[in-house]
Amino acid sequence: MSGSKQRMREKKLSKQPASVQYTSSPFSSSQGGGSWNGMETPKSGHSSSTYGASPGGPSDRGGWVRGHQKDGGAYEEELPKFITAAAFAVARASEVQAMMKAVTKETGSCHVSGAIPNHMRRRAMSHNTKRLPCRLREVATRMREKGLKAGPKKKEQPKSKSRKARRRHGNLLLEFNRRQRKSVWLETHIWHAKRFHMLKKWGYCLGDRPTAKCYRACHRAMSHHCLLQDLSYYCCIELQGDEDKLLACLSQLTSKDTGPTFAAVLALSGRRQGSATVYRAGQYPSQPLGPVTFLWRPRTPGSSHRQLWIWAHPTLKQSLFPELQSVCQCREPVIPAVALVVTPAEPGPSASKPGPRQAKKSPGAKRKRSAGDGEAPPEKKIVGDGTRPPSAPVTWTSASTGIVINDLTMEVVRYRLIGPQSHAVLTEALEAATDCDAVSKAQASPLWWPQHCKDQAQMTLHRQQAEVFQTLKGVCSTGEVPPGTVLGLNVEDPRLALPQKRTQALSVVSADQDIDETTRELMLKGVPEHCCQSSLWDRFVRDNVTDNKLSEQEINRRKGEVLVPGSRLRPTPPQSRVPVLMVQQPGKQVGQEMSGWGAGWDLLLPKGWGMAFWVPLVYRGVRIGGLKMSLKHSQNKGAPYFPHDFPDCPAGACFQGEQETELLNQFKRRPPAKRTNYIKHGCLAPFRCPWQQLVEEWELITSEAPEVGSSSGVEERRGQGGVEPGWRPRPETAVQSGFSVLRNRKSLKLLSNWCRPTTAKGQRSLRARDQAPLDAASGAALLAAHVKALAWVRLSLLSKGRPELHAQVCVATQEDLQRLGDKKEAYSGPLEHPHKDRFKNKVKRRKKGGKKGSKKASPVPKSSTTLPTPEAPDPHPDSPLALGACSLPAAAGQTSASPSCPPAPAEGPSSSSSSAASPANLVLGLWPEPLPSVTAHCSRVTLGWVTQGDFSLSAGCGEALGLVSLEGLVHTLMAQPAERRGLVLLRNPSALHYRWAKINLEA
Amino acid sequence: MNDGRAPGAAVLPQNPLTSPSGGLQSVEMDPVEYTLRKRLPRKLPKRRNDVYVNMKTDFRAQLARCQKLLEGGGHREICVHGLGLAINRAINIALQLQASSQGALQLAANTSTVELVDDLEPDDPDEAPGEPMTRTRNNSAIHIKVYYPSP
Repeated sequence: MSGSKQRMREKKLSKQPASVQYTSSPFSSSQGGGSWNGMETPKSGHSSSTYGASPGGPSDRGGWVRGHQKDGGAYEEELPKFITAAAFAVARASEVQAMMKAVTKETGSCHVSGAIPNHMRRRAMSHNTKRLPCRLREVATRMREKGLKAGPKKKEQPKSKSRKARRRHGNLLLEFNRRQRKSVWLETHIWHAKRFHMLKKWGYCLGDRPTAKCYRACHRAMSHHCLLQDLSYYCCIELQGDEDKLLACLSQLTSKDTGPTFAAVLALSGRRQGSATVYRAGQYPSQPLGPVTFLWRPRTPGSSHRQLWIWAHPTLKQSLFPELQSVCQCREPVIPAVALVVTPAEPGPSASKPGPRQAKKSPGAKRKRSAGDGEAPPEKKIVGDGTRPPSAPVTWTSASTGIVINDLTMEVVRYRLIGPQSHAVLTEALEAATDCDAVSKAQASPLWWPQHCKDQAQMTLHRQQAEVFQTLKGVCSTGEVPPGTVLGLNVEDPRLALPQKRTQALSVVSADQDIDETTRELMLKGVPEHCCQSSLWDRFVRDNVTDNKLSEQEINRRKGEVLVPGSRLRPTPPQSRVPVLMVQQPGKQVGQEMSGWGAGWDLLLPKGWGMAFWVPLVYRGVRIGGLKMSLKHSQNKGAPYFPHDFPDCPAGACFQGEQETELLNQFKRRPPAKRTNYIKHGCLAPFRCPWQQLVEEWELITSEAPEVGSSSGVEERRGQGGVEPGWRPRPETAVQSGFSVLRNRKSLKLLSNWCRPTTAKGQRSLRARDQAPLDAASGAALLAAHVKALAWVRLSLLSKGRPELHAQVCVATQEDLQRLGDKKEAYSGPLEHPHKDRFKNKVKRRKKGGKKGSKKASPVPKSSTTLPTPEAPDPHPDSPLALGACSLPAAAGQTSASPSCPPAPAEGPSSSSSSAASPANLVLGLWPEPLPSVTAHCSRVTLGWVTQGDFSLSAGCGEALGLVSLEGLVHTLMAQPAERRGLVLLRNPSALHYRWAKINLEA
Repeated sequence: MNDGRAPGAAVLPQNPLTSPSGGLQSVEMDPVEYTLRKRLPRKLPKRRNDVYVNMKTDFRAQLARCQKLLEGGGHREICVHGLGLAINRAINIALQLQASSQGALQLAANTSTVELVDDLEPDDPDEAPGEPMTRTRNNSAIHIKVYYPSP
């Protein structure tokens, strides 16, 4: 029986009334046979339509079957001799009834729209029945009415409450809590959700990019004025303990080779924010975790007890936190008293979530104090965040070391202001707290500020801090303050002096005005040590401030009572003093040009005060950026962005996987004819970067090249006694992730010297004489010290072009360089010849086969698995043609036409790939796993890939950030003539044109 | 007027620093132990007729910009500033302007000293002294007023 007949039958059967059953089972046949003497009198041509076919017939097929049957088994040969009229009529009665029912009932096919031919149907017919022919209009109108009646009822059902009820404060909070169960909101969430495309990431709901068109405006804000970001999703981990013990524990996580560590003197004093790259304990060159910034609380005289805040990205925190626990031996969780209140209650995760933020935003905020008692007490405890379950403990102690680890995630709000005018925005929006009056000082108060005022030492400190804050106004640009400066301050509630209109805050410095001594001091030395202290470090003060915050409604009420509308609210309510910390963020630090770009200030606030500071800052004319803008910020700054540019960290590897699936899905959503065929473009992996394969292949390439002589080079260096004493070529065995990114500062500096063309004017380094020149020996020594390493480089295009994600960085051949040097022609770069797509036919064949299979399979879905696929496509992809045309940079004299190619490990897919390259995984235009040799696939040898690339608005040309194989880089540099050193080719995944780019490796 | 490529006024000279003249730091620094990071020169508010000359932009472009200001822009005078290595170029631009105006323009040059700040980042941060490592040095600057003399 063909599939279509079967389907038709099923359709008919499904429309039959329930009283009539055409079942094919023998059960029904026996039942039917018993009732009417086992005789059937076929009157129509459809003889087999009788139900209860005779047992002798081919009843295995059974039921009603349309059309003439070949075997004719259903045609009865014997006619009955007599008919009992009554019995016959009774038996037919039900049939007739069923027929009548079937005739009157509308089925799908007699729908109005089905009654007119396809080409006459119009979309608007369902709305306007007058567009239908007259004969159908009446039916259609009836149908439409019926639909209208049914439609809204269905829609209304889930929301049983009226809008007013739903928007009521308590209900709104419940709704917000429900929506926060999966991904936590920041305090500025509602503000952002109105203006941003939101993304659910890392357990938070974050703004990605504004809905308004403001890409350029945001860039302008970063380079001329100020851009504001909410970075509260960064996780803060607090460590407390003896300084020596803390440093001893933390020193296992970092290495001096990568730059400053937790023990850096300036950072340790608390005057500067420090940053470090964290590794798994004692694993230094391998197994990095990621970058962190940290802040020490300034020493209290006469005590060695220290407090340290480590700020980490939420994805990094997952791996960092257990590591910290193990090095500090903090295994005993401390259940604080407050946690007990929350944990047993089952609305714990939901009811404990709402900070005062929702209360402020919601229209029914006035109920909060009076009616919403059910939510009031837990409301203040924000338990849980995007990175841990709400009931998990937040504090761990150690009996042996006495260190206490505190998870302060979501306890401290962090805002980042980027741009040269960010200090002007801060000085205008914030105001140092005024002393409280004598009356409140005299009486005991539950608030922290009156207590604080009683302490004379604290007040002198506060006055000094306020003075420093004042001198900040005399600074022209944020970059003039020493990088990482910390300033603690107590400020007044910025809502009190909210301007009537949004204005642009600018620093007021006149040209003639000479720098006065205090400003000069600030610019040179930064903030004095004692002024870095802040009450924000104090948990008690933080909680006190959060709990006693005046609600927005209360502030507005008081503002309404002010005689002059819009003037500042006086006197300051006693609750309105907040301790804050301001941390300067250095701008671009590496490289020659644009130094100091993107410097700014971070503002740390106690939790709950987010919106109270956000809106006043916005009123000072800042732009707001999302995640996308922070990516662009780091890109323009020339800094790697976590987790995108850290493929050797667990978070980075995880990110790469996510990105690949996302890009692949995006690719598959396009219609097949409109997809880029990456195979033809010679792009092996457009959605990910096989770093591991890259470093392995380069190892093979270099080991084959004879003239490098790596082993002898190392021996020589050792014999000489080492020009660079910092180098200890250490044997690296069994690195877990297989490759690592080069973070050794000395090696990076050396490499950055090598990358520069030596003859270009003004490019010579200050200390070039101290560094080893690029030769075989020093190169080999560098490579021996860093096995399987990647180097992080910045590429700027020489001419046109906009590099994209995962663009290939390739080695230029000698001919390319010669042609570039040729003055007669403007040579923009070589072209890649289109590759041949050998998988196309297989994909097509599979598609055809798949269609056939599905046709057959559809009537009996279960049987589809048993259907044999028409042809088993050859699972062995041929090795690519292009393999032959590769060139080795290591062999300096070789040209691109040389046919020799390295025997790459993954080159032989024909031998190893049987399961992975199964036809199910074939996607048109993508190489199936496993990939052939990634370095030698195209006519130019691949060095690495780009991880971020865009047209840079600050440089005015295409700029990309990428990782290249260290071995490949060193060998390429050695093969290049001195004046053309550092030139590579860059090719987008969907283009055939190689573009010239210059490598900048800055340390 | 806003030059996107170089927000700073003029480039710093690339030649090695010879004399750390700032009196703040008397410690003799071993150059190998520190990484030197130069901060941008202090940025002052600028009028529309201020031209800060740098070494990165094409000379002709900068000259054309000055000419445009004087002729099309309607300014009676402009100020050409140059710092360090860019002093030469500033003088060059001013002289070219004068030559091309057939003597209609006059020049008035002023020199000054600009204090620049360098951050010294110790390579081995744990060993560094407690004082922040900054030093100041001075660099020469020139400010040339190019103007039409009032009749």
